[in-house]
Amino acid sequence: MARGVKIPSCKKDTLNEKIVSYSKPKKIYIPLICQNDTNITVLVKNGDYVHKGDVIARRKGALKIPIHASVSGTVKAIEEKPYLNGQNVKCVVIENDFKEKRANVVKVKRHINNYSKEEFINKIRDAGIVGLGGAGFPTFAKYDTDAKINTLIVNAVECEPYLTADYKLIQEKCEEILEAIDAVLEINGIHEAIIAINRNDTKTKEIINTFIGTYLKIKMVEVPEVYPMGWERTLIKQIKGVTYKKLPSEKGIIVNNVSTIYAIYEALKYDKPLIERVITFTGEKLNKPQNVLVKIGTPIKEVINSLGGYKEGEDICLVAGGPMMGCAVESDELVASPTLNGVLVLEKNENEKATECLRCSKCVEVCPVKLAPVLIKDSLKDPDNLKYLKPERCIECGLCSYICPAKIKLRDYVIIAKRKV
Amino acid sequence: MKKFQVISGPFIKDAGNTSKIMRHLLIALMPIILFSFFKNGILPYVSNKVTLLGMFYPLIFILLGATSTVLIEFLYARLILKKEDDELKHYMHSSYSVFPGLFLALVLPINTPISILFFGCVMATVVGKLLFGGFGNNIFNPALIGLLFISIVYGPLIAERGGYLNALEMDAITTATPLSNVATVEGIGTYETLVKPYGSLYNFLFGTIPGSLGETSAILCILAFFYLTIFKVIKWRIPVVYVSTVFAMTYVIGGFNNLGIWYPLFQILSGGLLFGAVFMATDPVTSPTTPIGEILYGLFLGILTVIIRYFTPYPEGVMVSILTLNMLVFIFDKIGARARFNFNKAVPGFLFAWIIILGLSLYIGNQYKVSAKKSDPEFNILEKNVSGDTTNYVVTQKGFSGNIKASIVIEEGFIKKIDILEIKDNYYSKVEKENYIEQIIDAQINLELVDTVSGVTITSSAIKKMVINTLKDYRGE
Repeated sequence: MARGVKIPSCKKDTLNEKIVSYSKPKKIYIPLICQNDTNITVLVKNGDYVHKGDVIARRKGALKIPIHASVSGTVKAIEEKPYLNGQNVKCVVIENDFKEKRANVVKVKRHINNYSKEEFINKIRDAGIVGLGGAGFPTFAKYDTDAKINTLIVNAVECEPYLTADYKLIQEKCEEILEAIDAVLEINGIHEAIIAINRNDTKTKEIINTFIGTYLKIKMVEVPEVYPMGWERTLIKQIKGVTYKKLPSEKGIIVNNVSTIYAIYEALKYDKPLIERVITFTGEKLNKPQNVLVKIGTPIKEVINSLGGYKEGEDICLVAGGPMMGCAVESDELVASPTLNGVLVLEKNENEKATECLRCSKCVEVCPVKLAPVLIKDSLKDPDNLKYLKPERCIECGLCSYICPAKIKLRDYVIIAKRKV
Repeated sequence: MKKFQVISGPFIKDAGNTSKIMRHLLIALMPIILFSFFKNGILPYVSNKVTLLGMFYPLIFILLGATSTVLIEFLYARLILKKEDDELKHYMHSSYSVFPGLFLALVLPINTPISILFFGCVMATVVGKLLFGGFGNNIFNPALIGLLFISIVYGPLIAERGGYLNALEMDAITTATPLSNVATVEGIGTYETLVKPYGSLYNFLFGTIPGSLGETSAILCILAFFYLTIFKVIKWRIPVVYVSTVFAMTYVIGGFNNLGIWYPLFQILSGGLLFGAVFMATDPVTSPTTPIGEILYGLFLGILTVIIRYFTPYPEGVMVSILTLNMLVFIFDKIGARARFNFNKAVPGFLFAWIIILGLSLYIGNQYKVSAKKSDPEFNILEKNVSGDTTNYVVTQKGFSGNIKASIVIEEGFIKKIDILEIKDNYYSKVEKENYIEQIIDAQINLELVDTVSGVTITSSAIKKMVINTLKDYRGE
């Protein structure tokens, strides 16, 4: 497997800024989507009063997972809003009454280790916790397995350029995160936890080193700053030297993003469902780049305005997600969702015209899943050959388009091929 | 109101682009061009073999090649595609038309007439590139297409004009490039017959041996390889595997005949192998794009080059190997792409290659035998009469146009008389005027001291060679 590619990190704008919180949206728009699945049952109707943390919808199918209200207030309607994949998605609109009322009095647990495995799994399912690194896979399903798990890898690599949400979270909430990791290990009978962090991230290393001493089962491992090191397969290969077929649990491994671990902490400690997350707001056309703790369903425009708005100039490119895997959206009506880890306000790309492919093979060299993008592009009209090139394996990391010296958007071609196969 | 641009990601791009890659290629070629100027221009000039213009001729030649292909592509874009202004600029900027002509000039012999260079440039651009749809779409290496046409149509003509030898080399005793010399040697050759005539292997390494304008300096090709690999310009596996394959095969062949390590080194350092492996076989457009494909491509390039060098009258093999395998790149890519997921898919290809490599090396090693005897194919003895201390020869040697026929009388080991019986050169009178024959008879103990007659270089050097060959036969060498 290719070991990844060095790409510029572009993280410095937000790295030294504390996480701020934006908690005053007038209306919130909770997207009815989970892992790109819009097959969701809505449990509220117009005019209903909901408390903060109430279940307002539930995903259908095998991995039933609830969706919660992130404020207290009145349900107004169901409206379509742009989602991070660039498409419009139905959202439950709730008018915020700013009372932050919870349905029950919150009991704070003193020792979050006092859960049985079953209670733990129910807890994180009911809290609606999904992988916050971007995949959005329901977290309880990872633990609800018969396989013997030996290692928990906590992914704090955040290899997407510009994004620093995970870095900042682990820096500011290190004690809580370590406590949560320790609880997860004890509850699930897992032997060790490895926090994977970027080799060049000295500040995080120092902070973790300050607190890690009391946790004998938790260690920190540094990984090279290459892309896509944060991808599960690359990370496991790097740390454990193993590969797997479908799920890491085959090799006794669970990987959780550090933000997910923090969400687990809040669920275990405060009984708090997944109703907010840290999002990196950055980019050269944004006045004040910063990490912001945002309620799920908050319109991005409001957060941007609270950060001093856009810089001069009419033409911008608003990207939901990181610069490699993110998606440009049509408007800043975009709403915050659990897997939105960054919002980039970039200068308009002067769309460099693609030139002839010179068949330099750089896209083949960098592909983390061993595809040959140049050949896939050539074979688009030849379905028989396309089959052998396995475009369906593409994880859409974007490296082929990134590296191409002829500026050909190879990922777009591979995605087309993916649909054809 | 803000306008939101919706384009597909990624939203950052690597700083590299095609122009930068091509710039690195140009930089890597610079030392080679300068060396060619030094070897074929400056050295002959300081030895008073050429005029000042002659000194700059190699540079002019290379420059003309490079500008010709640019000009041809410009005319094509302007007159046939009817592109104008920005479009035309963009086309010229992204067609990299300087390279076919530049490479072509570098693989041609210095005695190629400019008109033939231009013919090659037309063929390289039109047949090699434009017929396939321009840059990025061509199957064959354009420069090698140009070279192929020139070799077929004008090969003999260029050889007659002195071929690969520059003005300085024409006077030396060597008859041709090291590889064409191989063909004249009986059997597999020895260090004395293969390397000695050109000095030592160091001459091969540094490039002070006859050859095309750009190919002779092995060390500069190797440096270029490292430069281009560090800057990720070329597919490094191809030259590494190609050269290693030729080395391994000739090592076995040489080993069979108890030749030292010099023999495989001689094989990889001679001719256009290193230049071709580093610059031609790695031409991105016409080579495979998958790692396994690149390795297999290199293996078969090596095999084909060895086959051509040992089984055909063509001593070189690099051009034909690359052009042949250019046609099969899609197969190498097919295997390479499948082998990315499952290496077993490539096993038959590797097995096939290794069986050929081993079988062929053993076969050739067995077939060829070392022979020290060296004969000049352009030299023939028609009559040889020995009477007492006197031996009368009637011999021929290939000259400027057809054979030179002469009778040579040797008495007690010394040449007494040389009579030119037949010669086809309108300027032969010049040779007579200079008393060239008398000079040769006077200096027969060390014929290397005799300078050829300027203006009739080929004829005069052929006469000298004829005398040397006759003396060799007389002494039983």
